[in-house]
Parts: sequence; structure tokens; C-alpha cells
Amino acid sequence: MDENVPALKVEGLSVNFDTTSVLWDIHFEIPQGKLVGIIGPNGAGKSTLLKTFLGMAIPISGKLECFGKPLKKMKKKVAYVPQRSSVDWEFPITAFEVVLMGRYGKLGYFTWPKKADREAAWQALEMVGMTAFADRQINQLSGGQQQRLFLARALLQDADLYLMDEPFAGVDMATEKTIIALMDKLKVQGKTLLVVHHDLTTVDAYFDWVLMLNTCLIACGPVADVFHADSIMRTYGRSNALLEEVVKLTKNKTSGMQ
Amino acid sequence: MMFSSPWHYFTDPVLQAPTIGSILMCLASALIGVIVFLRRRSLLGEALSHASYPGVVISIFFIATFFPNARDAGPLVVMIGAFCTAVLGLWMIHKMERRLKVNNDAALCFVLSIFFGVGVLIASRLQFTHALWYKTVNVFLYGQAATMTDIHIYLYAGLALLILSSVFFLYHPLKITVFDPDYAKSVGVPFKLLETLLFLLLNLAIIIGIRSVGVVLMAGMLIAPAIAARQFSHRLKGVFGLAALFGAFSGFFGNYLSVELPQWGKNQGWEWKFTLPTGPMILLSASCICVISLFLAPKSGIVQRLLRRARFQRQCQAENLLKHLWKKGDRNFIAIRDLKAGSSYSSWRLFWMLFKLKREGWIDQKGKQIALTLDGWKRASHIVRLHRLWELYLVHLGQGVEKVHRSAEEMEHILTPDLEKELTELLDNPSEDPHRQPIPARERPL
Repeated sequence: MDENVPALKVEGLSVNFDTTSVLWDIHFEIPQGKLVGIIGPNGAGKSTLLKTFLGMAIPISGKLECFGKPLKKMKKKVAYVPQRSSVDWEFPITAFEVVLMGRYGKLGYFTWPKKADREAAWQALEMVGMTAFADRQINQLSGGQQQRLFLARALLQDADLYLMDEPFAGVDMATEKTIIALMDKLKVQGKTLLVVHHDLTTVDAYFDWVLMLNTCLIACGPVADVFHADSIMRTYGRSNALLEEVVKLTKNKTSGMQ
Repeated sequence: MMFSSPWHYFTDPVLQAPTIGSILMCLASALIGVIVFLRRRSLLGEALSHASYPGVVISIFFIATFFPNARDAGPLVVMIGAFCTAVLGLWMIHKMERRLKVNNDAALCFVLSIFFGVGVLIASRLQFTHALWYKTVNVFLYGQAATMTDIHIYLYAGLALLILSSVFFLYHPLKITVFDPDYAKSVGVPFKLLETLLFLLLNLAIIIGIRSVGVVLMAGMLIAPAIAARQFSHRLKGVFGLAALFGAFSGFFGNYLSVELPQWGKNQGWEWKFTLPTGPMILLSASCICVISLFLAPKSGIVQRLLRRARFQRQCQAENLLKHLWKKGDRNFIAIRDLKAGSSYSSWRLFWMLFKLKREGWIDQKGKQIALTLDGWKRASHIVRLHRLWELYLVHLGQGVEKVHRSAEEMEHILTPDLEKELTELLDNPSEDPHRQPIPARERPL
């Protein structure tokens, strides 16, 4: 793969939920091998942005390119780490089986995982330091351990682009360090990572690029260049809250609820 | 005559068909039930089984009116009818949730009652026009396996096999779809297709099931084996396997009881006669398994939990006794009589505790006197250490010195070595507790 092709190229992307804009005319380009933090207030469309890349949210307009090719062709190259709260942790499944799911995309319909898949899953589990818990039922794990499982599962996909939805939410310090170490390792291998992040104080320590979002794109670039008081104000400030209000009003009017 | 042998039910030409039929039905519905249960959509089964009822009634009406002699085609037509209205019910629930923004439970409730109501309405008309066929309709309310014939068996066996093989061959895609839908979509598992398949299978399981369990009780049959199985296994494979087993067992046993019990009553010479529909008997069997599982399950079963609690209580009592000895006389001999005066246990209880402690090697006895062994002394001082460490920790957190004793009384039995290590590090290996008492040193491992 050509190294100069951007990992992600987004042109004029707009996503609606019903008639409400969630993302509005977004343009950006992210080079390969970057560790990118996506920040913005609640409801700014951060998760939706990730879901658009995964084909789960359908844009009403815009062009998405992943390593210079349309997104659909690159699905195998993208790994997703969902929010921890998105699954039912009471589900009867062991830690190891969760990680093994990373190979399901490669499995056909009617096949069961092979020995090689299991070996690979074990290695991924090792990388996040969770082999001791392989046979545990998942609700007996702490929040941090659960998050590590999700990470190990994504590692197993052997992707080039990683999309992570709030991997640091509700995890302990040890896990946060493990995750950061892993992310750096992946970056060194030339992988691109997009991470939805909430803690503004750690942005410059953890990431080298930042994507600031609040329905519209506020800024996208190296942390040192774009992450400063002015852009933070524009991301979290009143100007966008106003937009949100209008959007909500529009939704109510157009759907006939008010 | 007492009950006949269960084996008889598999060989007897008349009993064979209903027996195998019920087993297959219950097995299929138990498998699908696991999925519905794990997705926390148990009520969907209830709504859809009721939604299938008008289909049953309409098809029977149809046969009665146009082909009153084609009895053989009956089962198939009824199944198609039931399937159609069940799918219609599903579609309505879906639309109500998505389009009309009705809550899930409200939509389920609405579809359940509307469809069932329509079914009852048509059935009551049938009662007057085709009184004989009305009986057939009623069979589907509470289920009746006894009148099943070979045609039923072939039909149900085929469909049950379809469900079984779908679950087996699509095990992994299904697992990921149920567990983590977002992730499933992201790795390219065809989520929508699998969802649709799942709903179709659920509908199939229901229309197979209503013949022997009945519309009213079908939901219970879907869920009961799954709940029971979940108590014993924390792996999906295990849950599926056990649920299938429980389902098949209750299918057989329910059918067995519904035939045997009235027969037995007759043989006993009872005045009043009774018939037992299969549905309730199957469901009763399944519920029995379910209740027993909830009691006996190894992890969360009530019996196990009571046992564990009693064990912990005994451990606390024994440790308190050791602590008492440690404080009283270090390792010197103490008269049992003195011990009795200072404790609140009955003499019998105390005697038993001493006997056990002696047997386990924590104390020595000489005549009417007892003392700690070296091991016992170590254990007792460790308990005291934990007690005092905890007191110090609470004071460290800002609690008043006079308030911490009670909490420590409990925590001394609970703190693990890991926590002890952390407490020791946090408090910088202290030597005195808040009451100016020495904290026994930590045992160095050899």
C-alpha cells in the first residue's frame, strides 16, 4: 500500500438522524500512522462519525475514502472497538470467546474457528495481559479488564485502521496505561488509530493528532497546531449549543410533534 | 396397574407419534428460547404465539368450509395460517416501534391482545357453524399431543431439524449478532439477514410448539429451559445444550403425565374423571426443572448460597475463638470453663467448635485445658493483624477512633492477602493500631 495515501479522506460528509443533522459538511484528511483523538461535547456526533466509517450510519451526502479506496472495499482493514456499555455483560460467554470474535469476519458462514484462530486469540489475550482470566465469565471482570478484551478482539482483526469509541471510559489507571502502550505500539507499526476521547487534560499527552468536532468540524490537525484555547472554546462553547437548540426545534416542527 | 414404562412410549404405535412430536417441538423451542432469553426479548414469544392464533382459526375455518374431507392436509394448512399471522404480528410490532414510536412493551401488549381477540372472535363464530371443527381449534389453546399422527411428526421433525441445524451451522455468526450487534456489523457479519432469520426461526418454533403446548403457554416453553440452563453454564454452548436437553425432557415427561395420570385415576376407581391437556403438563415439567435449577445451581442457587453463608459464619466463629485464646493467654493453657464464661455460645456449640479446631490442628487439649498450637497462634495473630490494620485504615480515612472496631470485627474475616498487602503498603507497614495496641508482624513466607 502506498504510504502517502491518506488513511482517511472525508469530503463534504453530512449525516442525518431522521431530519436532524448529526454531522454537517465535514472535510478532513488523516495521514497514515497517526494516533488521532476525536473530541467534542456529548451529542457532537463523535460516535456517529465512527459508525459512518463502519457503514452503520448512512450519510446523506459526501465521499469517504479509506487508503484511497471506497470504504466498502476496505472493510477487512478496519477494526472497531465499541463502547463498553454497548453489550450485555451478563451474556454467557468467556473472556477468550469474546476475543475469538475478532476472527469472525474472516470465517465463512458455516465454519467454526480453527486451531490457528484460537492460537491467535490467545496471543492477543497475552498482549493485553489477560491470559489469567481467559476462562472467566465476562461479568466477573472489572471494567478495565472488559475494555482490554475489546482491545484484544480488535487486535486479532489485524487491521490497518482502528476506530475506538471511548476506550478510556471507566477504566482503572493500569488499564489506561496498557491501552496507551498498545496504541503507541500500533502506531509504530504504521497503523492509524481514531479514538473518541473525553478527558481534555490528557489530549496532548496521548495523541499526536486531534479532530475537534461539534456537528461541524472545528479543527483537524497535529495537536501542537490546532489544540488550543480558542478551538476548545469553539468546540465546547455557546455558539454550538445554539445550533443544537435550533436543530432540535427543527426536528420537532418537521415531524409535527409541536 | 401402575404407570407404564417410559420406553413403551417410544415403541407403541399409538403413543409413539405424540411422544416424538412433543420432544421435537420442545427441543426446537428451547433452542430458540435461549436466543430470545439472552436478547432479553422474552415477551416477544408471548406476543407472537398469541398472534399465531387467528391464523390457526382462519385456516381451520377455511378447511371446514371448503375441504371438510381433506383431514390429512389439515396440519400443513394450519401451520401456514399460523405462520402468516405470526409474521403479520411481528411486522406490526416492528412498525409500531419504529414508525409510531410506541414503547416496546406497549407494542407487544397491543399486538398480543388484538390478535388473540380476533382469533377468539372468529372461533366463537365457528362454534355455531362447524361445531366439530371448533374442538380442533381449542386444541391449539392449551395443546394436545395425544391426537397427533404421523403426518404431524414428519412436518414437525422437518422443521425442528431446520431450527437445530440453523443453530448449529450458524452458531458463531448468531453468537456475535446476539452478543454485540454493533461489532457484528463492523466485521461484516450480515446483521440484517441474521436478524430476519432469527425472527423467522422464532415464528417457526412457535407454530411447531402451539400444537402440543398451546398458544397460551408457548412463551413459558420458550423461556423455562433457557432459564434453567443458564443457571448451570456460563458458556453459550453449554446453555444451548442443556436447554435442548431440558426442553426434550419436559416434552416427553409432560406428554407422559398427561396420558398416565388420568389413566391412573381411572384405575384407582376415582369417582371424578379428568383429562389433562399436554400443554400445562409440559410446562409444569419445564417449570419444575427451572425451579429446581434455581435452587440447586452451583453458583447462584439458593441452597448453595445458604450453605456458603453458613460456612462463612462458622469460619467467623472459629476465628473469633482463636482470637479470644490468643488475647487471653498467648499460647498458655486455659481452662475450658473460663472460656465458656466469657463466650455467648451454648456448651454444646462450644464443645463442637473446640472439637473441630482440635481436629484441624489449631489447638491442643490437655484434660480440661486448651491452648493454641503454633499454627493456631500464627493464624490468630494474623486475624488480629488484619483487624488492627483495618482499624488504622479507617482512621486514616478520617473515621473516629471509637467507631472503627465494629467494622474491623467483620473485615478481619474477609480481607484477602492481596488487600492486606495493599493496606500494609498504603499505611507504610505500621506497628501500632489507633488504640495504641501493637499490630502483629506479617508472616514472612519461607
